Amino acid sequence: MKTINKIILGIGLIGITYSCTDLEEELLGDLTSDFSLEGISTGGSGGGGDALTGVFNAVRNAGTANHGGYFSVQSVSSDEMAITQKGGDWYDGGIWLEMHRHTFTPANGPVTGTWSQQYGSIAEVNNAISNAGLDANQMAQAKVVRAYLHWRLMDLYGNIVIADGSGSSNQSSRSAVFNWVEGELLSALGMGSSFDLSGLSNSSLGTNDVKYRINQYSALGILAKLYLNAEVYTGTERYSDAAAAAGHIIDNGPYSLSDSGISVPNLGKRPAVSSDPDNLVGYAAIFAPNNENNPEIIWSVEYDEATAGGMNFHHMTLHYASQYTWNFEAQPWNGYVALEEFVNSYEAGDDRRKANFIAGPQLDYGGNALVDLASDSPTPEIVYSIGINELEPNGARTGGYRLGKFAFKQFARPNLDNDYPIVRLGDVHLMHAEATARAAGNWALALPEVNAIRARANVSALSSLTAEQFLAERGREMFQEASRRTDLIRFGKWNDSWWEKTNSDAYRTVFPIPSEQLTANSSLSQNTGY
Amino acid sequence: MKLNLLKLSLAFTIAFSGMLSAQQVSGNVSDETGPLPGATVVVQGTTTGVVADFDGNYSISASAGDVLVFSYVGYTAQEITVGNQNTIDIVLQSSNELEEVLVTGYGSQQQKEITSAVTSISAEEFNQGAINDASQLLQGKVAGLQIYNRGGDPNAGTVIRLRGLSSLGANISPLVVIDGVVGASLNNVDPSDIESYTVLKDASAAAIYGSRGSSGVIIVTTKSGGVGAAQLTYSGQLSSSSILNQIDTMSPQEFIASGGRDLSSQTDWLDEVTRDAFTQIHNVSATGGNGKTNYRVSANLREAEGILLNSGFDQFNTRLNFSTTALDDRLKIDFNTSFTQRDQKNGFKESMRYATLYNPTAPVYAVDAPYAFNGAQFGGYYETLGLFDSYNPVSIIKQNLNNGERRELNYGINLTYDVSDNITAYFRSARQSSDYANRVYFRTTSLWNSSNDYGGADSPVRKGAAEFYENNSEFQLNELYGSWKKSTDDMNLVVTAGYSYQKENYNEAFFALGDFPGDEIDYIDAIEYSQDLLNAGNVIANSGRNPDTEIDAFFARVNLTWNNNFFLNASIRREGSTRLGADNRYGTFPAISMGADLAPILGLSGVQQLKPRISYGVTGNLPGQVGLSQEIRGWSWGGGGSAGGSTNLLRAANPDLKWEEKTELNFGIDLTMDRLSATLDIYEQTSKDFIINRVVDAAVYGFDRRFENAGQLSSNGFELSVNYDVTDNYNTGIVLSSNKVVLDEYVQDSDKFGNLGAPGQNSTWVTRVKVGEQVGQIWGPVWDGSVTNGSQNFKDVNGDGELVVGQNNALDDNVDFDVLGSGIPDLEIGWSNQITIGDYTINAFFRGAFGHSLVNTFRAFYEPRVGSQKSYNYVNTELANPEIKNANFSSLYVEEADFFKLDNLTISRQVNDNMNLSLNVQNAFVITDYTGSDPEPALFDLLDGNPLAPGIDRRNSYYSARSFTLGINYKF
Repeated sequence: MKTINKIILGIGLIGITYSCTDLEEELLGDLTSDFSLEGISTGGSGGGGDALTGVFNAVRNAGTANHGGYFSVQSVSSDEMAITQKGGDWYDGGIWLEMHRHTFTPANGPVTGTWSQQYGSIAEVNNAISNAGLDANQMAQAKVVRAYLHWRLMDLYGNIVIADGSGSSNQSSRSAVFNWVEGELLSALGMGSSFDLSGLSNSSLGTNDVKYRINQYSALGILAKLYLNAEVYTGTERYSDAAAAAGHIIDNGPYSLSDSGISVPNLGKRPAVSSDPDNLVGYAAIFAPNNENNPEIIWSVEYDEATAGGMNFHHMTLHYASQYTWNFEAQPWNGYVALEEFVNSYEAGDDRRKANFIAGPQLDYGGNALVDLASDSPTPEIVYSIGINELEPNGARTGGYRLGKFAFKQFARPNLDNDYPIVRLGDVHLMHAEATARAAGNWALALPEVNAIRARANVSALSSLTAEQFLAERGREMFQEASRRTDLIRFGKWNDSWWEKTNSDAYRTVFPIPSEQLTANSSLSQNTGY
Repeated sequence: MKLNLLKLSLAFTIAFSGMLSAQQVSGNVSDETGPLPGATVVVQGTTTGVVADFDGNYSISASAGDVLVFSYVGYTAQEITVGNQNTIDIVLQSSNELEEVLVTGYGSQQQKEITSAVTSISAEEFNQGAINDASQLLQGKVAGLQIYNRGGDPNAGTVIRLRGLSSLGANISPLVVIDGVVGASLNNVDPSDIESYTVLKDASAAAIYGSRGSSGVIIVTTKSGGVGAAQLTYSGQLSSSSILNQIDTMSPQEFIASGGRDLSSQTDWLDEVTRDAFTQIHNVSATGGNGKTNYRVSANLREAEGILLNSGFDQFNTRLNFSTTALDDRLKIDFNTSFTQRDQKNGFKESMRYATLYNPTAPVYAVDAPYAFNGAQFGGYYETLGLFDSYNPVSIIKQNLNNGERRELNYGINLTYDVSDNITAYFRSARQSSDYANRVYFRTTSLWNSSNDYGGADSPVRKGAAEFYENNSEFQLNELYGSWKKSTDDMNLVVTAGYSYQKENYNEAFFALGDFPGDEIDYIDAIEYSQDLLNAGNVIANSGRNPDTEIDAFFARVNLTWNNNFFLNASIRREGSTRLGADNRYGTFPAISMGADLAPILGLSGVQQLKPRISYGVTGNLPGQVGLSQEIRGWSWGGGGSAGGSTNLLRAANPDLKWEEKTELNFGIDLTMDRLSATLDIYEQTSKDFIINRVVDAAVYGFDRRFENAGQLSSNGFELSVNYDVTDNYNTGIVLSSNKVVLDEYVQDSDKFGNLGAPGQNSTWVTRVKVGEQVGQIWGPVWDGSVTNGSQNFKDVNGDGELVVGQNNALDDNVDFDVLGSGIPDLEIGWSNQITIGDYTINAFFRGAFGHSLVNTFRAFYEPRVGSQKSYNYVNTELANPEIKNANFSSLYVEEADFFKLDNLTISRQVNDNMNLSLNVQNAFVITDYTGSDPEPALFDLLDGNPLAPGIDRRNSYYSARSFTLGINYKF
């Protein structure tokens, strides 16, 4: 029996050894807490690692210059561009056709994704605001970014949730959001409860030129944009305030238009193709891959092929075979095309026409014609045509000029290097001109600045100006900068018909609240009409 | 004086037994129909034992008073005490299958005592032929157990599902228990080493395994040691496979006639990338022992080729099962170990996909190009450059490498100690370690690479790429339990209770880089020359390690038999896991079942058993991933090449996350008559609180998804199996099953899944779930049969006069979509037949599934005569409509995929005592209207594993094969 007892004891002990675990799960290969703010080394020009890195990364990650998010819904729904269905490619359940024709539904994927992306980014900003121990200047920057992201949501969807970190999920009316965004911006600008430029001396924001961070001028630029559209948002116009905010930037900011004196090497040049310029000059330089020091940019989102990915314009727009023009690492998608009517609004000699579009016969790196063996046309050579046969189902694979404003460099990776301006002086001039004209009810007041912008683009001055002409000028200048939808709405043109689009109903000026989010948050109510 | 007397008697005994020990006993072992070759005869309590020869004859030395034990698998053992006779002939009774012992969780029971849904399949019922995957032995054999391996990829995993879908997102494959080791890997068991399977189908049977029992349990018992001198057995198989069914595409002439771009050659691309594939299998095993110490060792070698060039594997597996006794036979020690080394060529399935859609007039080689073409950049192959998703299939499969290496090691020990006559203690400890490494190399002249997630290969812009992947999982199990038995005249009681602890760990690493200087060597062996090392951000690397997943469980069970006619079984398990939220780690899983054999009670003549039974149980389900309850963040660099960066939220936390729970009620009846046996089970299951990554309020959580317990599924079904001896030489058996899964609750009223994808059919979801309806609906517009301007016209399904067929309206009330089919079969059938004619045995196994449909994605993408796709071949099945020139998903591409096939036909001949020869055909013929390559159901989305998107035949499929196998089995 003694042996038996020993054995039982032995087995029992083995059992106990493995027993009584506390079942605590400590993740090893995943990040479970936020540490963007723990003083990781600083460096880099105008950006790099500080407590605000997460805040500005969040803007980049909010669909600013890639396919399927903010840029796409803001642009494809306008008369600037479309994603045509090219036979078997790009039908995709009709999401881009309905975006173009303003028949989008609450289940539309990009409409849904854009909502979630903005709130995801706002959450990261809130995280910094509540946990990062920001100093006054950083706090002001973070709040401006948060207000800017709310402005995007309010502009897109109208009545939204103000995510100020309180955890509330209540929907606010568009004018309540307007007031909140305005209040946040005014507070960051040191102005108290009403717009008053004399308050700027109290602002924690700086005045130095910092491209990747917020200073007083970028905050004023956002405020000017908010005021310029105030009538759309609230029914009450704020044009004088918009003009004053923009005017302050023009008068006091350390910025100048990127004119013929500004030039950067053309990183996309093919040695075998003599028509490729050696340098990108003036307007084109603002958007070049090496645009980080352009004097016109007030606030831009930093993109980098290795460390700050998220800009994919080359993939989004170019034909598959155009890979061999620039030696891209990956094949483009043959999606976005510019609309003929829009392209034709440029005069032939307009520098911006050349900078903004990729047109005509396409050659590879060695200067030989690119071909598309699957194309419908009898000759397989690729020629981007200004006209497009149809939106769907068999849009020509080479139909439409392509989006070339953010110029491509040779051997570009899937992510581009060009920085994406959110506030730049050219835009500020046009906002100032428009606000001044609208405040006075006299479009002629906008002429000097419009002509300055035209002069920079090498087109002759206008002698008179109508609202329609102004809108066209603004369109030419701001192509591919995610501004067109907002501009069309402000000018009352959004619901008009254009190529392959009939008149749309008035309620289409705001997108529907995504149906997924209506399910997840029962306090949300859908916008009228949807 | 006492002592002397004892010595004296001892001496007398020895002398007496010595006197009789010379006795040789011989005789014949047979059953009612004839001799039983291989029956064992053992002198009880000694190491002496022999095996009967081909004629059933044996000869053994024994002494008077010895007890001889005659036994044979499937027969009731008989014990005969040796007197002074020299000849003992024995007729063994085929063991009444009621007394057949089934291995169940933590113990075993006789078939008659089982009161829940349990099925046992032994080796002679297994599927035959060149079977390389242990689970395929069972395919179609167990009612309610779905085993599908679509296509003929020898390296593809098999999908196993029991009684339909029991969960969403969590584990939906049954738990595998090998020789008592819970959660062991079937990859490390050679099919030829398996003795039997027991499948625990209902929650009552599986509840003893607690959290992992929700999807059922498959218990594997490997072959163990024999008795007597070493018995060496060899079995070998030689098999040849070829492509079974291909998708109809256009011939070069048809292609040109329908407007395709003529590139002046004629190429049968599928023929270029496939082959007749040979497989050889060699198994050697040796068994032996003396009744106390037994062993079985085996070595298994498999060399298999796939029908796609450069695919297949070489595998070597060994296994040792050893057992012995100690401490007066009260302690039994079992040791077993197995090791598998597998080198696999995974090939590239994409090669088959491109072979289907590549321009049939394109040449294979650059020298045959119809225009000046720089083939040197592409390894001498022709490529249609500048097109989306168009790559020379021969170049893909011949230039590039995709090789994997898997190593699996298991070892474990079981101790069984008889504490007293009615108390037994068990201790089990087992370890398992699996390593897998994969290397992919795209040659510097390859245009194609499988991924755009990193630079990859893309000649001539990026020359070549090398990918390295490895993972390792470790697993340990320790269990301690005991059982107590009590028997009286009219009652048998067994109580079992114990503790189980399990720990698992998993880690993996991946990195890839490319752009190598030239084509001189395979740069995967010299990655230091990668240009990516000079360019920040171009090397991709990631690694991860799971925290230890620990499971802690206590369990107890009672088995009660009353009057040999009434049976009651009850169990409970309390279990905790690290994978759940801090507040909800533990769950309790009870079960109860009972049954009564009415045959003796009612005095039915000719009926050996008529047992109705009822059972109820609760099982849990553990999420498949770790950290689901926690917040997870990602990392973004700050740009500008600076070291700064920040985290960003990827998943919001949920500390309340708790167990999924399944309850199941099963009613069954077992009938055994002379020639007929039948089992019927009817069940109803409810799975609630299933764990899904659901949409949450983005404004509140900062991210629009987190894991929550949300929703409920219920299912019901029936399973019938019937076995009938038509004549003494012909046995037939049929298994039938049907299952319906309904979504009771969900995060929203309906949802859509199964995106078709690029080109052109993103945001096109082809399946839908809706609360209150069956899971597995294929959902889309209904083609009315007419075509206008190249586009299909759709039906106004709801007849409201307005046609709403936009994909973004898919879930709207007014949408004109309809249920176009079900991804899940209504009825599955397995029909086995065994005919014996002299030395010949014919096994014919038919299998079928009915009521399911498949979305034929090859057709949906490539059958419309899309104008701008002129350099891609068109799929051209009998369903093709040349008028349709626009690719729109609709009912036209959803096909009923009912099939009935002669799955497995074997003719074998017992040549003599030692040798058996066989000829086997797998996939002999398939009767189906489906135009794709394989009509077997796709139980989940083959792209992302989503169980709510079944029924999609994706384009990345490996064509299925038919194979012929010659087999030999030889006993030395």
